[in-house]
Amino acid sequence: MTDKNETVIALLGQPNSGKSTLFNALTGMRQHVGNWPGKTVEKKEGHFSRNGKEYLVADLPGTYSLSANSDEEMITRDYIASGKADVVCILADSSQLERSLYMLADYAGITVPCFLVLNMSDVAAEQGKTVNTKEMEKKLGIPVVSFSAPDTKAYGNFYVALERAVSTKSVLKADALEKRFGELEEYVKIRDMISDNVIPGYSKVWLAAKAVEGDAPVIAKIRASLSDADKKNFDAALSKVDKGVVKTGERKFAWIDELLAGSVKSKNSKVTLGKFDRLITHHIWGKPVVILTVVLGLVASFIPALPLMGVGQLIAKIPDPLNEALLGIGCPAFLAAILCDVILRSVSFIVQMLGFVFGVTLVFGLLEEIGVMARISYVFDNTMARFGLQGKSVMPFLISFGCTMGGAAGTRVIDNWGQKVLTIALAWAVPCGAAWAVIPMLSTVFFGAWMPVIILVILLVMVLHMWLTAKVFGRSLVKTEDRCGMIMELPPYHKPKWGALFRYVFGRTKETFLRALKVVLIVAFAFWLLSYTSSGDITGSILYKIGHFIEPVTKIFGMKWQTFMAFIASSLGKEGALGVLSTIFTGSGTISVGSVVGGATAANINEILVTNIPKPEALALIFAMTFNMPCIVALAATYQETHSVKWTVRIALYYTGVALLLAGIAYYVGLLIW
Amino acid sequence: MKKLSELEKDAVGVISAVNGDPRFISRITSIGLTPGCTVTVIKNEKNRPLLVYSRDTMIALNRDECGLIEVEGGKKA
Repeated sequence: MTDKNETVIALLGQPNSGKSTLFNALTGMRQHVGNWPGKTVEKKEGHFSRNGKEYLVADLPGTYSLSANSDEEMITRDYIASGKADVVCILADSSQLERSLYMLADYAGITVPCFLVLNMSDVAAEQGKTVNTKEMEKKLGIPVVSFSAPDTKAYGNFYVALERAVSTKSVLKADALEKRFGELEEYVKIRDMISDNVIPGYSKVWLAAKAVEGDAPVIAKIRASLSDADKKNFDAALSKVDKGVVKTGERKFAWIDELLAGSVKSKNSKVTLGKFDRLITHHIWGKPVVILTVVLGLVASFIPALPLMGVGQLIAKIPDPLNEALLGIGCPAFLAAILCDVILRSVSFIVQMLGFVFGVTLVFGLLEEIGVMARISYVFDNTMARFGLQGKSVMPFLISFGCTMGGAAGTRVIDNWGQKVLTIALAWAVPCGAAWAVIPMLSTVFFGAWMPVIILVILLVMVLHMWLTAKVFGRSLVKTEDRCGMIMELPPYHKPKWGALFRYVFGRTKETFLRALKVVLIVAFAFWLLSYTSSGDITGSILYKIGHFIEPVTKIFGMKWQTFMAFIASSLGKEGALGVLSTIFTGSGTISVGSVVGGATAANINEILVTNIPKPEALALIFAMTFNMPCIVALAATYQETHSVKWTVRIALYYTGVALLLAGIAYYVGLLIW
Repeated sequence: MKKLSELEKDAVGVISAVNGDPRFISRITSIGLTPGCTVTVIKNEKNRPLLVYSRDTMIALNRDECGLIEVEGGKKA
């Protein structure tokens, strides 16, 4: 119970058990995502009401067991021990029942009330499996419910099982498993030494089994509760244990087999790989097929994205006439500028990008739900493991060639927070669509036929940049002991739950909009203040003064104040850098957020650039712009996905620094050539 | 006694031992690969992860780590 009188349900299940689908279906848009205090693990909570009762759902981190090998597992265990949950909902996948019941077996011995949800019953039915839940209930002593997310009727049974578990405080029977553990001499010795209540909610059976498994936190707790003489006996008993995890594991699976015998009927059919699976596991075609899948997904993302992008472009048409109208009725110029140049243009910019976020979240959320994402992960796992990442990370990288904000949104399918942040940090190095619109054009203007060479060098630098960034941030985000070779299951394909998917996509898009708006407005307003002049002459602005003042420093990186201004502007939006240069060199108009996010450029911009900027400086600018922070919206999206101000700022500063460094290198290489 | 990675496509074996550090053993146990369990090799190609079927589940395994899993039998089904 919370202090608001809500009944607390904790969702416990292995990754791919359909936990997040159930969470989204239960809570819809009433979700809150943050981080567990002091930990790099995502914390998801949501609310729903049913029959006049309020419920709080805590989505525990997806883990494979309740051992103590990762932060996720420790958080899960501590949460259960904290007594916050009134009932734990354990999920298993009916289509892979034998393996996925391991979580239930690992839970046996915990006395916090629970019930079992056998998810994906539709997939199991297709495989010809039928489960007798009544029979299982008898053996387990807890409510057991067959469930499939796309089936709306199944929800009724879910709520009934939930209410039964809450009212009867049903505890999982552990005696049959305990009998099997009893075959292990070391288990019996250790169990008999343990007193009650070493950890609240965890029985002697569970603690002794974990001690046999060599679980360090449990061993420490037990040890602390013993007298000195018993400590010696305890240590002696422990030292005799060899490969305890294997021994208890064998018994847990024997218990599962016994549970399933008589409860599950299946037509034994030979397993074969489907067409798509044969393609992606092919040693030559695997990677191209996955890349093609992601690219097609990207194209498909534009279909739901286009209407929103259109709305954004419509908003962009308002500021100019509105500005004139406001000035016409005697509104002070700076007020009109704030409304038109800062607020409306920021909103337009965000809404256009939001379309892309919406599309990416929908399409890639769908790929995740039907099981394609696990295949993508499989194909790229070995490659991405070199960066300390999962195979899924390849997808945000590819999306980032289009839009970094979309890439950041695409990291939602990565279930490990550290890997998610690292993926975003690396995705920033991928030049986005806006960069591709500006850089080849700038390269052609300055270097003519050498343009392809410059693009090639940019791509090489990108790979190097990602490799280096993985080294720099990888150590603190993804611990080396957490990195291991691929061990993953390929779940069967299943139908999506459209309603829940859409609710989730709308919820996430709304949240991204609000957060992005906040960040973008603040940054845009600050930039506007710095660049505002009453006279309309750029040299009167604070930005000019700062730029001029630090010119000796920026010159080290090859940039005079004009190009440095363009560099700063490119961190808000890459398209804007040209507008800024145009404004500065033609001496017309002020640099405003308007000119930065897709503003006008002079018709003879090419000439202006070539006459004003020497080649080495141009090369420096090209590199500085390409590898700069992608844009303010990407910054906002990074904050939205990581929930961490610290990491967002860290990544932004790192990228600004590296961009300047690369500019410097490019400048000196340029000096040698020209 | 063979290593899992030495089994050919379509071969069926029974796991006899799992070696390696405790983390690996814990992870491999939680995915269901314990001594006594039957595995069918679905795919085994050079430089690619192994695909095996065991306990109702298709599992992808890193090649190197398959060397830590010992199996008995291993004849083609």
